[in-house]
Amino acid sequence: MPVAASAIYFLNLRGDVLINRTYRDDVGGNMVDAFRTHIMQTKELGNCPVRQIGGCSFVYMRISNVYIVIVVSSNANVACGFKFVVEAVALFKSYFGGAFDEDAIRNNFVLIYELLDEIMDFGYPQNLSPEILKLYITQEGVRSPFSSKPKDKPVPNATLQVTGAVGWRREGLAYKKNEVFLDIVESVNLLMSSKGNVLRCDVTGKVLMKCFLSGMPDLKLGLNDKIGLEKESEMKSRPAKSGKTIELDDVTFHQCVNLTRFNSEKTVSFVPPDGEFELMKYRITEGVNLPFRVLPTIKELGRTRMEVNVKVKSVFGAKMFALGVVVKIPVPKQTAKTNFQVTTGRAKYNPSIDCLVWKIRKFPGQTESTLSAEIELISTMGEKKSWTRPPIQMEFQVPMFTASGLRVRFLKVQRFDFYTLDSTILSKIQCRVFKSLCN
Amino acid sequence: MAPPAASQRYPSPSQPSGKSEVSDLKTQLRQLAGSRAPGVDDSKRDLYKKVISYMTIGIDVSSVFGEMVMCSATSDIVLKKMCYLYVGNYAKGNPDLSLLTINFLQRDCKDEDPMIRGLALRSLCSLRVPNLVEYLVGPLGSGLKDNNSYVRTIAVTGVLKLYHISPSTCIDADFPPTLKSLMLHDSDAQVVANCLSALQEIWSIEASHSEEACREKESLLSKPVIYYFLNRIKDFNEWAQCLILELAVKYVPSDSNDIFDIMNLLEDRLQHANGAVVLATVKVFLQLTLSMTDVHQQVYERIKSPLLTLVSSGSPEQSYAILSHLHLLVVRAPFIFATDYKHFYCQYNEPSYVKKLKLEMLTAVANESNTYEIVTELCEYAANVDIAIARESIRAVGKIALQQYDVNAIVDRLLQFLEMEKDYVTAETLVLVKDLLRKYPQWSHDCISVVGGISSKNIQEPKGKAALIWMLGEYAQDMSDAPYILENLIENWEEEHSAEVRLHLLTAAMKCFFKRAPETQKALGTALAAGVADFHQDVHDRALFYYRVLQYDVHVAERVVSPPKQAVSVFADTQSSEIKDRIFDEFNSLSVIYQKPSYMFTDKEHRGPFEFSDELGNISITPEASSDIVPAQQYEANDKDLLLGIDEKDDNKGLSSNNGSAYSAPSLENSSNITSQMQELAISGPATSATTPQSSFGFDDLLGLGLSTAPAPTPSPPLLKLNPRAALDPGAFQQKWRQLPLSLTQECSVNPQGIAALTVPQSLIRHMQSHSIHCIASGGQSPNFKFFFFAQKESEPSNYLAECIINTSSAKAQIKVKADEQSTSQAFTTVFETALSKFGMP
Repeated sequence: MPVAASAIYFLNLRGDVLINRTYRDDVGGNMVDAFRTHIMQTKELGNCPVRQIGGCSFVYMRISNVYIVIVVSSNANVACGFKFVVEAVALFKSYFGGAFDEDAIRNNFVLIYELLDEIMDFGYPQNLSPEILKLYITQEGVRSPFSSKPKDKPVPNATLQVTGAVGWRREGLAYKKNEVFLDIVESVNLLMSSKGNVLRCDVTGKVLMKCFLSGMPDLKLGLNDKIGLEKESEMKSRPAKSGKTIELDDVTFHQCVNLTRFNSEKTVSFVPPDGEFELMKYRITEGVNLPFRVLPTIKELGRTRMEVNVKVKSVFGAKMFALGVVVKIPVPKQTAKTNFQVTTGRAKYNPSIDCLVWKIRKFPGQTESTLSAEIELISTMGEKKSWTRPPIQMEFQVPMFTASGLRVRFLKVQRFDFYTLDSTILSKIQCRVFKSLCN
Repeated sequence: MAPPAASQRYPSPSQPSGKSEVSDLKTQLRQLAGSRAPGVDDSKRDLYKKVISYMTIGIDVSSVFGEMVMCSATSDIVLKKMCYLYVGNYAKGNPDLSLLTINFLQRDCKDEDPMIRGLALRSLCSLRVPNLVEYLVGPLGSGLKDNNSYVRTIAVTGVLKLYHISPSTCIDADFPPTLKSLMLHDSDAQVVANCLSALQEIWSIEASHSEEACREKESLLSKPVIYYFLNRIKDFNEWAQCLILELAVKYVPSDSNDIFDIMNLLEDRLQHANGAVVLATVKVFLQLTLSMTDVHQQVYERIKSPLLTLVSSGSPEQSYAILSHLHLLVVRAPFIFATDYKHFYCQYNEPSYVKKLKLEMLTAVANESNTYEIVTELCEYAANVDIAIARESIRAVGKIALQQYDVNAIVDRLLQFLEMEKDYVTAETLVLVKDLLRKYPQWSHDCISVVGGISSKNIQEPKGKAALIWMLGEYAQDMSDAPYILENLIENWEEEHSAEVRLHLLTAAMKCFFKRAPETQKALGTALAAGVADFHQDVHDRALFYYRVLQYDVHVAERVVSPPKQAVSVFADTQSSEIKDRIFDEFNSLSVIYQKPSYMFTDKEHRGPFEFSDELGNISITPEASSDIVPAQQYEANDKDLLLGIDEKDDNKGLSSNNGSAYSAPSLENSSNITSQMQELAISGPATSATTPQSSFGFDDLLGLGLSTAPAPTPSPPLLKLNPRAALDPGAFQQKWRQLPLSLTQECSVNPQGIAALTVPQSLIRHMQSHSIHCIASGGQSPNFKFFFFAQKESEPSNYLAECIINTSSAKAQIKVKADEQSTSQAFTTVFETALSKFGMP
């Protein structure tokens, strides 16, 4: 059975109850106290997100400064439980507009209770789609889609949609300007040897979309994915176009994508939800081309001084450029004073995250830039505390470049109802977590 | 809802005490109750909000119940909702007052707005007051027939709620059959899904005392129903899909076409973004193909990549849930994941619970080809700032070494750890070196020279210290200053707080004494004197025991305390394969996370309500399962360190003057064993070592020392004649295998010729066939082969099913037998073993 949550609690970091919703009687009333005393006030908190106390299991997640706790007494489905929490938080965010934290919950607790009533009944998850729920639960208060009073905008056939099959989109949307935005965000995990050889590299990517389209459009997305292209050329019985194709290790799609069609024709076709959503996720381990090379050298000069040199080289085409490059170079906790020199951009020491943060607004291709810093450490008594040299992190965007080589070949709107598309396709890459092993 | 009294015990400073506020609210609400002035709804809203927020933080606001109900006559939906929420929370505690609400709820149930009808119906069912159920039946009945699907979904869940308040009312009103017809005919997907979950719960509870419900429960699993759901699965939302997939797991397909149809239909579900859907699909695939070994392997290959994607995306908690399942699969089929080991490398910013799981997986997938890289990576982690992870990774290195791959390099690495000069690293490493020495005595020379250089003063942790002391005792002849180190330690007896260390100190002094008597005599005397005076019962007992044995005869003492060591070939696995299979059956649930079957952590009445054959299995299996549980639980509770635990057990076999607390030795057999054991010890010494190949029970029956001879085989079981032409189709086999309880588990060794012949697994199948035992499925790769056999009695159609797992490297076979007739299963097992033992013989 999927999660049959007996109760859901929202707590702040101190353990005060923000929301307390019991769905079933099979857990005792003092479960929140049990969670507080046996989990929150012990070291167990960060150890495991699933804990058992007495006959009950606590499945919990921390999201900003709030703990969301699901209590179950049966042998529940944990993956489902976590997914439910994640989806519920996304739903709340779409209602509050932005942050989900203690204040937002306190300000909207009535709304949250209303939503909790709708999204779960007797412990079984119901419809969590913001699109549909927004039809009858609104921030201003509830308005009934069924009420006979005329509204500014008639909602056609709302009855069906409350529980209907196309759960992610409502009918009757109309935009003056029809727009589609598409972003590719990739996170690269890289391990380099001291000589700059890549030891390991993998990419997890997401295709994010923002749709503002009228009616019920049917979109089709073409990627330069190997299987898809082969299939296409096979169907049209002509040789595949030359150009680089890439092999995706694995793909998962948003529920709006017609999976049967993906499997038979290898095309990504879908009726998009309105607004922002994550269309697909993929994973690649081979053939990753990196836009940057990072060459760090770190010298420890005695007990209280260190020298850090980081050279960043851009290896993408000279006509392209990277935007918003941020390099985070970890330094030991006991850093006292830092001096830097940078060839481009700006750097500063951020003691709260123990990093030198080096920002470069625009980084052209085929260039290099260096940071050299001298770091003075507070001398410590006793044995030498070893510093583990955490990985250097780097974030940036390179328009029209992806580490995986994934490219959007086309995005077609197949059902033109009554509008033309003012489409903007924007492809960018954000890379995170560069792990490099120095020396 | 938290009873106010309980929550108020922990009032936070910022929370108001509540009393005066509540009475204020009461008067204000009363003023508003009758008013029809414009704007009154807004002020009501504010008041209601206050009430709800007090309720949330645990202040008892039940005293305003009457006023809340009076104010509820309003057309504002928000107000109504807040009122419903309030009533739902306090109705149970105020059954009399709840009667007041029935009226307005019933009225709302007939409202022309479906939204209000639905809300009112939901609240009505959430009152949970037993004496009000009569008021529920009417509205529920009309709710189920409502022309609006929103109301119907709520009514369906309402029926389930009613059932939990009063089963008889629900059954008498004939709701289950209504739900069933709704489930099969309603046009709305959510209504259908709710019907399914409600019916599953109701019928599985009813099934225990009603045959009809039992039949209905079975009918949910009939082919038409399953196909009806699976064909429509895309119409359902993701949560309902999980529900349907969970149902499909229990379906027993009629033939292999059936299986492939289902898998083809569901394959695209593996691409779903919702991890829960993917896991549920994976479960369906795995369970369907259990009997088809090669397809089962392919399924592993197919599901690998979606699962790995899910691990790397989503929040750490989600990946933890997925990783736990992946862990289970990796342990079941390590060779399939052997090339993917890089996916299990830890990332710097992952939480420790994720890292821990990944370390375990790295240990599991290590084989000849990847050990070097894995161990290199693990050594990186050993320098980690997170001490817990550093420890885990050192243990992981040790476990890999014990798996026999590339021991040479690993020993070097371990010895390098000792040079890192960090307390915890040294302590963990010592424990490992000790375990390694027990398995590979040939390395003693290298290790001892390094270990000898470690000063015992630098080791604070009891486990590390105990390990060092054990080595000092065991290798006293190779370490020149062993007696003097021991002497030093013994002199500080009083400062040694851990009983475990003191116990080891006693034993080590004894062992050292037998090897280098002149140098140790004084120290041993001091140790025994201190031990006898020790306040800890075990230490006291052990010292006394040593003293008396020495007094009786020094040579006997030597044979008891310091027998020639035999290398340990296989360390005991904490979990029996029966338990592992059970966890596998409960894939995609908490069992996998906790790594124990659900019956261990949920009470009978709390157990997941929809378990078919499992339920049957559980009940009948308890007697023997309980003996399996004991050690596993004890490990959980007392001893997180598996390896050390085993070591202690090993020592206990030699000494075993203690059976208990400090050592957390599992008392598998009854405590009455201790005495018999002691006698046995005195008489025969530790000659019966569990490592001899004959006693295939391995370490499972540690304290049952020498028990391998004790339980004499049942006196001449009646000879069983098997039908040489028995027939059983795979589907029926699978169904039987799921339904029948396990009647016997047996381990036996296979003769070397047999192992040699096993290079062609078919040979065993032919061999067993000649003994009228037929193979239905087989598979596996060296060193593990798995066979499913069945046989039939010659005279009557009574079946025996057997699972046989043969490990060629240890030359052991594990046999699980299930039988239609429990009484004859022992006889069958004997026949089976006899047949197996003849395998490979000319």
